[in-house]
Amino acid sequence: MAVSFKEVTKRFADGTVALDRLDLGFDLGEFIVLLGPSGSGKTTACRLLAGLEQPSSGRIEIEGRDVTNVPPRFRGIGMVFQNYALYSHKTVFENIAYPLRIRKVAAAEIERSVKDMAELLRIAHYLQRKPAQLSGGQAQRVAVARALVWQPAICLMDEPLSNLDALLRLHMRTELNRLHRKLDKTFVFVTHDQEEAMTLATRMAVLKEGRLVQFDEPKTIYRRPANRFVAEFMGRPAMNTIDGVVKGGIFKAGAVACAVDRPDGPVTLGIRPEQIEFMASNAPAAMTLTVDVKEAIEPDTLLIFQNAGGQAITLRTQTNCDAIEPGQPVSVSFPKQALHYFDAATGKRVE
Amino acid sequence: MSKSWKILAIGILACVLVLALTPYVWILLTSFKGRLDILSTQPTWFFMPTFANYPAVFIDKEYLPLVFNSLVISLGSTVLSILIGAPAAYVFARTDFAGKEDLFFFFLTTRMAPPIAIAVPLFLFFTTIGLTDTIYAVVIAHTSFNLSLVVWMMRGFFAEIPKEIDEAAMMDGRSKLGAFVRVIVPLAAPGLAATAVLCFIMSWNEFLYAFILVAFEGRPLTVGIPGLITPHGTLWGQVAAVAVVATLPIIVFTFLVQRHLVRGLTFGAVKG
Repeated sequence: MAVSFKEVTKRFADGTVALDRLDLGFDLGEFIVLLGPSGSGKTTACRLLAGLEQPSSGRIEIEGRDVTNVPPRFRGIGMVFQNYALYSHKTVFENIAYPLRIRKVAAAEIERSVKDMAELLRIAHYLQRKPAQLSGGQAQRVAVARALVWQPAICLMDEPLSNLDALLRLHMRTELNRLHRKLDKTFVFVTHDQEEAMTLATRMAVLKEGRLVQFDEPKTIYRRPANRFVAEFMGRPAMNTIDGVVKGGIFKAGAVACAVDRPDGPVTLGIRPEQIEFMASNAPAAMTLTVDVKEAIEPDTLLIFQNAGGQAITLRTQTNCDAIEPGQPVSVSFPKQALHYFDAATGKRVE
Repeated sequence: MSKSWKILAIGILACVLVLALTPYVWILLTSFKGRLDILSTQPTWFFMPTFANYPAVFIDKEYLPLVFNSLVISLGSTVLSILIGAPAAYVFARTDFAGKEDLFFFFLTTRMAPPIAIAVPLFLFFTTIGLTDTIYAVVIAHTSFNLSLVVWMMRGFFAEIPKEIDEAAMMDGRSKLGAFVRVIVPLAAPGLAATAVLCFIMSWNEFLYAFILVAFEGRPLTVGIPGLITPHGTLWGQVAAVAVVATLPIIVFTFLVQRHLVRGLTFGAVKG
């Protein structure tokens, strides 16, 4: 493993545990995304790897070397900050050149490296400007160029896109993907945006309250969420989770009733909104739910049903729903192969 | 703003300006007046100017070295205060530690006691270590009050720089100290300059400590002025000449950094 966290715990002075015995390892060349809601410890993990914070216990290794107490400058890691953290008194050129200047690289070599990097990030026209004269997207590119210009093995990015507007975000996301393929460096990217995580990651680590919940390829995390939390965090909208009871191979919860492969007893049923199907009302598998809210997000439509017990169930479809109005009953079914089961008590996935 | 308000505002400003500048203009004129004009009961604006006062005090009475003393004391205490105070202010701006705000307030309280209260202990202290009647004693004494000013003002300027800048510098390859010296200090340069000028002015204008700590060698301009009060009467023309020379650097510096000065002072007020 090129980078590994071993039982890393971070407790802050005020007593909050930001990371709780994190075990995580990945290879060089990967694009690792740390994903989680705010307060999940993803930024702390990133800062620990950078050396900007010290773990309370545990070890961090890079290529077999224990770097737990090594200062940031000896770790071979570049970093992009959320607010870009450009040096406002230096030109763009000098900002990018700074890591090389510190390393006393020859002037001609600096000139060449900075130009190359600026070319790659399409900021070659702005090299003589000051950071204050740049747009958000340009400043972001300068920050990325500065983090990568000295060829560190690992590049950390702490929510680098969250200060950009929506369109620019999409664009920068594509750029980062291109950059990663081209440079073959290890990227560690922190975000709370699952779409960013899905599109960028070779593997993603989902964190919750300082603990690693699941670490896998994006498609596996989407298709086989390890527990209820991941299921409810991933997907747009998130997976429906319905608490109910199985009796004789039939799951029941309010108006929901469907055939399942589970023994009798309480269970949490999961189904993605896009996998709920419309049915003719007289079909044997059909159940009737009442539409509470209809949201048209063309080309898709979201139908939100209110089940007994206050649980909302969301359906996402591309079928034309113009005829359906709130308050109207609709017949749907949950295909058996689309169902996920979670332990009613622990929330863990059960097969 | 309507026109009448504007006229009113200008009128008030003009009054303040006249009130503030009249004494200075008076000193300036006095320094060019002969003895008769100065003591005349009818103050005159128009008179035969004389340039005798300046050489009389700076050459004949050998006050020129006092200008040099004032410069050395002010520069010395300013540099010393910045060297000690700026890193302290940086720590206050960046790090959290137990009792931080109390300690910060303590720095301010060092300025609350009337200077005269500690003047005598200070004199005894410097006598014990054998520094009385030297420039060093005054430099150290002035540093004692300028230090709190530096910590108080620079904390605001450092806090204004995002801490990610320090971290970016460290990721780029600087040590913690390197990030402070090479990146943060240049970024805080305008604030640093404003603070330095204020320290310089405080030290330059200071009279009490300097008066008590140095009798002859190393006395600054402020202490030189009372020497012009003689048993035969006060030499007002020469007093005015010294005063004009003493105020020149202050005026120049203040004009240079007035924008940052105001910002720096309001920082302390808000952040406290």
